[in-house]
Amino acid sequence: MSTRISRRTWLTTSVPALGGLLLTGCSERFVPPHLRGGLIGAADVLTMSTNRLLLSGQQLAREYSRSEVADPFPTWNQTNPRNAEYQLHASEGFKNWRLPISGHVSRPRELSLDEIRSLPARTQITAHVCEQGWSAIGEWTGVPLQRVIEEAGGVTPAARYVVIDTFDGWYEGYDLFEVVHAQTILAYGLNGRDLPRGNGAPLRLRVERQCGYKNLKFLKSIRVVDSMAGIGRGTGGINSDFGFHWFAGV
Amino acid sequence: MPGTAHSYNVRICHWVNLIACVYLLWSGAHILLDFPELYWGHTGYRGYPAAFKLEDWGLSWDEAGALGDRRWGRNYHFTAAWVFLINGLVYVVWNLYSKHFRNRMLAPHSSYGTLQKTSYLLLIFVFVPFMILTGIAQSPGFTAAMPALLDLFGGRQTARTLHTIGTVALVLFVLVHVVEVARAGFFVKVRSMITGKER
Repeated sequence: MSTRISRRTWLTTSVPALGGLLLTGCSERFVPPHLRGGLIGAADVLTMSTNRLLLSGQQLAREYSRSEVADPFPTWNQTNPRNAEYQLHASEGFKNWRLPISGHVSRPRELSLDEIRSLPARTQITAHVCEQGWSAIGEWTGVPLQRVIEEAGGVTPAARYVVIDTFDGWYEGYDLFEVVHAQTILAYGLNGRDLPRGNGAPLRLRVERQCGYKNLKFLKSIRVVDSMAGIGRGTGGINSDFGFHWFAGV
Repeated sequence: MPGTAHSYNVRICHWVNLIACVYLLWSGAHILLDFPELYWGHTGYRGYPAAFKLEDWGLSWDEAGALGDRRWGRNYHFTAAWVFLINGLVYVVWNLYSKHFRNRMLAPHSSYGTLQKTSYLLLIFVFVPFMILTGIAQSPGFTAAMPALLDLFGGRQTARTLHTIGTVALVLFVLVHVVEVARAGFFVKVRSMITGKER
């Protein structure tokens, strides 16, 4: 009886592990930072690696016309973090808010909202796709995350993931394949106006090829790390800590 | 006339497929109940004109959401989808090779009736691809790689609505299938799908 269970456990955990081994070399591009066991873990690897192979050209997500924009844009989940620091920043119009960029970057530094707004901007009209099933199109204006990291001197060779922390206590990790994508921006504008508080003021992340829960709001800090181990429960993000997929491309 | 017994590849694939479909249906219901509204086009959110709202049928949005844990809905749906897809590919390739399709599904005189052959072929080569495509047309990752999916169905929300309608159609098909099996002798037919022996 016990040998049968251990053999089944071995078989079901070895499938995703084998997938990981086969892809060693650029594994974080095809495999989540933490492999779940069983068939679910195997499906995670299949879904992510299939998606990443299809997206190896770093294609852009569909951009829509301005007439398709939802205005006002729907709000969901947290719309006003109760965090005291956030409330203070909000009451000051975010003029004393700073975004620290730390970890595996050449020159760790902080950026003010004005400094971020002065960087070359990108505007994209894209669909926000919630894993629950709703979707809405918004016109997002912001700075590519890659450009913001370059303001801190760019990543050093040890860098593997970028971790974003938020004022509502969320955090998520993103591999560099997602970070360097042209549409991965830190948005401060929505539909031609400042990003409303309900949609994540002062700054939110847009990762257009993943579901809504990877598009964090109320940004607090950016860390570049070599591993997701030891952060939260070590699965790579708060959503995967809760049991959701780490790679939310489906 | 070829024998009526089922080959072991048909039998294995049939039961793996049944397990995958039960998981897909159950987990899909969880996902739907977490946002029990359907829309046409590219856009759909609470407050936007909907094609279908569970609220209109007497079950509140929160009550519906409480029926399922969407984490596990999503985890099981995409896991079962891979089992379904791989099993389906094994079935198709294996039976093209073993000439099951030629002998049973395409031959004028086979142990399968004309209606049976037509419905199985439509199910495998039209309906299943339709369900897979309407499924991945909802994915932000797959639609970035294949934006034509959005145009094919006229939007992510349309794809979600068609995916749901397709599920209802599939459940009806399975009910007819089970009724037909029952009419032909439920015990004998189920035993033959397990053992491969008609008697």
